[in-house]
Amino acid sequence: MAKIFIDEREIDVAEGTTILKAAKSAGLNIPHLCYHKAFIPEGTCRMCLVEIEGIPKLELACSTQVRDGMEVSTKSESVIEARKGVLECLLADHPIDCPICDKAGECKLQDYYEEYGLFESEFNEEKEKRQKKIEIGKNLIHDQERCVLCRRCVRFLREITKNEELGVFQRGVHTEVSTYEGILVDNNYSGNLAEICPVGAITDKDFRFKARSWFLQRSESICPLCSRGCNIYVESHQGFSRFSLPKRVYRIRTRENQIINGFWICDKGRYEYSYLDQERLDNIVVNNSQDSHSWPEITSLIAGEIGRLYHMKRSAHIGLILQSWLSNEELFLIDKIFRNDINIEKICFLDPPEEAADDFLLTAERTPNRRGAKELGFDLQPANWEKFLEDVDLLFVFASPIRDDTDFSLLKAALDKIEKTVLFASHNHEINSSFDIVLPMSLIAEKGGSLTNIVGSVQGFSNALDAPGDCRPAWQFLVELGNKLALNIDFYNQFSDPESIREVMKKEISFFREKQ
Amino acid sequence: MSDWIIILIKIICALVWFLVIALYLTWAERKESAVIQDRIGANRANIWKFRVIGLFQPFADAIKMIFKEDFTPSFSRKFLHNLAPFVSFFFVAITISAIPFGDVLRIGGREIKLQIVDFNVSLLFVLAMLSLGIYGIILAGWSSNNRYTLIGGMRGAAQLISYEVALGLSLIGLILVYPSLKLSAIVHFQGELLWGWLPKWGVFLQPLGLLIFFFAALAETKRVPFDLPEGENEIVGFFTEYSGLKWGLFMFTDFMEVLIVSCLLTTLFFGGWQVPWLYADGFHFPWGGEWLLPHGIVVAFQVLAFNLKVFFFCWLQILIRWTYPRFRYDQVMDLGWKLLVPLSLVNIAGTAILLSLIG
Amino acid sequence: MIKALGYFIEIIKGSLITTRHFMVNMWFHTLKLFRIKTKRKGAVTIQYPEEKRDIASRHRSLHRLLKREDGKPRCVVCMLCVTVCPSECIYVEAAEDPDPEVQKVPSTFIIDLSRCCFCGFCVEACPEDAIRMDTGQIEFAEYSRDKLIYDLEKLTG
Repeated sequence: MAKIFIDEREIDVAEGTTILKAAKSAGLNIPHLCYHKAFIPEGTCRMCLVEIEGIPKLELACSTQVRDGMEVSTKSESVIEARKGVLECLLADHPIDCPICDKAGECKLQDYYEEYGLFESEFNEEKEKRQKKIEIGKNLIHDQERCVLCRRCVRFLREITKNEELGVFQRGVHTEVSTYEGILVDNNYSGNLAEICPVGAITDKDFRFKARSWFLQRSESICPLCSRGCNIYVESHQGFSRFSLPKRVYRIRTRENQIINGFWICDKGRYEYSYLDQERLDNIVVNNSQDSHSWPEITSLIAGEIGRLYHMKRSAHIGLILQSWLSNEELFLIDKIFRNDINIEKICFLDPPEEAADDFLLTAERTPNRRGAKELGFDLQPANWEKFLEDVDLLFVFASPIRDDTDFSLLKAALDKIEKTVLFASHNHEINSSFDIVLPMSLIAEKGGSLTNIVGSVQGFSNALDAPGDCRPAWQFLVELGNKLALNIDFYNQFSDPESIREVMKKEISFFREKQ
Repeated sequence: MSDWIIILIKIICALVWFLVIALYLTWAERKESAVIQDRIGANRANIWKFRVIGLFQPFADAIKMIFKEDFTPSFSRKFLHNLAPFVSFFFVAITISAIPFGDVLRIGGREIKLQIVDFNVSLLFVLAMLSLGIYGIILAGWSSNNRYTLIGGMRGAAQLISYEVALGLSLIGLILVYPSLKLSAIVHFQGELLWGWLPKWGVFLQPLGLLIFFFAALAETKRVPFDLPEGENEIVGFFTEYSGLKWGLFMFTDFMEVLIVSCLLTTLFFGGWQVPWLYADGFHFPWGGEWLLPHGIVVAFQVLAFNLKVFFFCWLQILIRWTYPRFRYDQVMDLGWKLLVPLSLVNIAGTAILLSLIG
Repeated sequence: MIKALGYFIEIIKGSLITTRHFMVNMWFHTLKLFRIKTKRKGAVTIQYPEEKRDIASRHRSLHRLLKREDGKPRCVVCMLCVTVCPSECIYVEAAEDPDPEVQKVPSTFIIDLSRCCFCGFCVEACPEDAIRMDTGQIEFAEYSRDKLIYDLEKLTG
């Protein structure tokens, strides 16, 4: 342990930590552009200069390691002067086209100018003209004028994806970041480049000119597109009071989680978010009619149907098709209601087929909670449909969201023969019309709960967005169904939110008790 | 039979005069206030682009008032609520019957008094009718079943009753001087001359009485310095729950009261239809000259004089209404009970002593 | 009593002031009636639709969007006006421009004048001097609300 003093504050840190990290641990922010926690410090931007007692020149906080008894000043006159100088040099060749820059509002250069700069430019010279709109990747646009040459992008491609698609070329004022001979950046993690760029040099084509960053509200969620369970921020626009917007979610960004995804997410998780807003089902549909129905009414109806079959000892004729988009809590409730209470055996999973995984984050399973279902004792093997659909009088299908490539042909043929069919869906789909009752479901981003990822870590999440229309999370419906069925009222009465369900789960199932 | 027809004609003429002048008082008030305040005033109402300095404004107002929704609140006493404006209107309108517009007009050997009814106690009749007008206000305030209107009604009642006393007492001196309660007789007395040159008008014989009467009468009209029953910015007023034509009637009654007060002032203190030194056969000036005129011209002069005097007092009242701010309630009561009533008693005593000294 | 007399004198004075105003103004009105030209007028009223008052140079009137030399709107959709607008009456959507020096142009620019409070914040916030409130137009009342929603065409036109 080393004891150092930063701005006369005593801080105890491990030997070998850098000053910048030490300061951060004490809540002191030292400005920096090129430093990123994920990379080895390179010290190109010179923003993090600090004064160290006994050393005549200013030192870089990002790459200087602490020594016991070191006295560091981050606010001394010479440091402030140096920061101003660095900023002035950076801005001397920066176009300051913030009005058209997508980074505006979350740009470090902007923030530092506001905080430490606020000088009048003393440069009379014309600014260097460079290319402002180069496509360097399938979703990336590079503006060489805005680039401050921090090399984060180069380091990301070198250290994380290890395919070095970008490099620094030329020398002196002509230095520029560029691709090798026009070969575009093409890997499944290229979207991260726009996010780690401290200025607006690399911007996202998907987000280009869609919204200004300060309108977006960021809320925490978990990516449901594969079973890795990457931590994400869902950034949504609240809209304007007088003008409605075509969509809610404008982009997905990474949320740091060192155990699961580090600082990164894959491009699939980043760009495939349109399902949150497009073609959403937001009202209860019964027999394809336009009449409006309420949840309590439908819940009673379904509970009545189940109760009827149960009391006629015909519960073996109830079928249940699940999907592993359901959260641990929801699967737990399904287990309790359908397997414990009414004792049905016809339960199977209709998950999309596995796809190619990559060697970093993306997994082969394309649903988020197969591991959770497995831990809850469900059989995940594909069912023999013909056998499964025989003698079914009441069929429940949880399918939210339905993927376009899901094969419904067998199911569709069987649906007409079944007396009553209930679909829990989140999107409008042609299959919806084949069901007697279609109930709108909330998506992962719109509900709370927990998911178990491929390696078995259980992650809780809460709703990042408000559910549209009549949409409800499945757990809420299931709790009410449990109450309406009245087979075990005390049990279902204790659930008011996903957390209360998780508490019970932890008590009953050892896997969830251990995984915290 | 022909007497009835004459009476009917007289009633129609008087009422038309009364209502038209009152109608135009609304216009006059807007115009006069505008001129006082360096504005132009209502001048936009037009018929086929003819504006004529806004003379059509009263008709526009009336049309608007008639076609506005006549709203009776559900919580009001419907019958009394509807009755109130008409009570108010009626008791003011009926007073015009006692006002003499001129002397006697002779047509074809018939003598027609230019007054609807000339009864012996016409002064008392006028006072009685004016006091009954209170009922309209109280009914309006009470039947609306609204706190503010009730306060307005109560304020109105208290104020009118207080000033009724001063109003009545101020006239006793006048009755002592002109020993009659008959308005036509009072006007006739005012045609006489004092010291051979000064007309015996009430203003000269009863200056204090005039002052008291004028203030009390102003209070009776319940217009601005004395508009406590309305008090727009405090309690909105006794007619808060009225709208459309019935509200218009209350407003119109106000202007009719202005006109009636002017008529009374003219009749009692400014010689009514008398023109100084004009007699039945023409002018006889005190310095010896004379200018004989035919009967018709003389009557025309008299009616014209009456009208001019009335218009002057209307103008004066509007001027007062646009000059002063509203009195506080206690000030109104102080002025009535502590100043006007004692002063009128002093006036009565003084007049009586003076008259008994002169013999 | 003396105090009351003092009031009385003030009351008379007051009425003399209004009488003086009435007489003087009436005199000028009468002169005007006889078509005699005088320097002073009887009333200070400006007869609005016929007579109009000059608009001060810094008066905030109807908005307009300025154009570049080539006719494109100067607006670059930085959304600062949208951000700053206290009545939330501006809505802008961006489009891509082929010129890399311009890049961002408005495809939609809507000002809902029925909500606008004419504070002029949008003009002050604009970094490109693309919006101004100097048209001098103050008469844009309409009989229906949707006519008060001004789009890009109307604002640049």
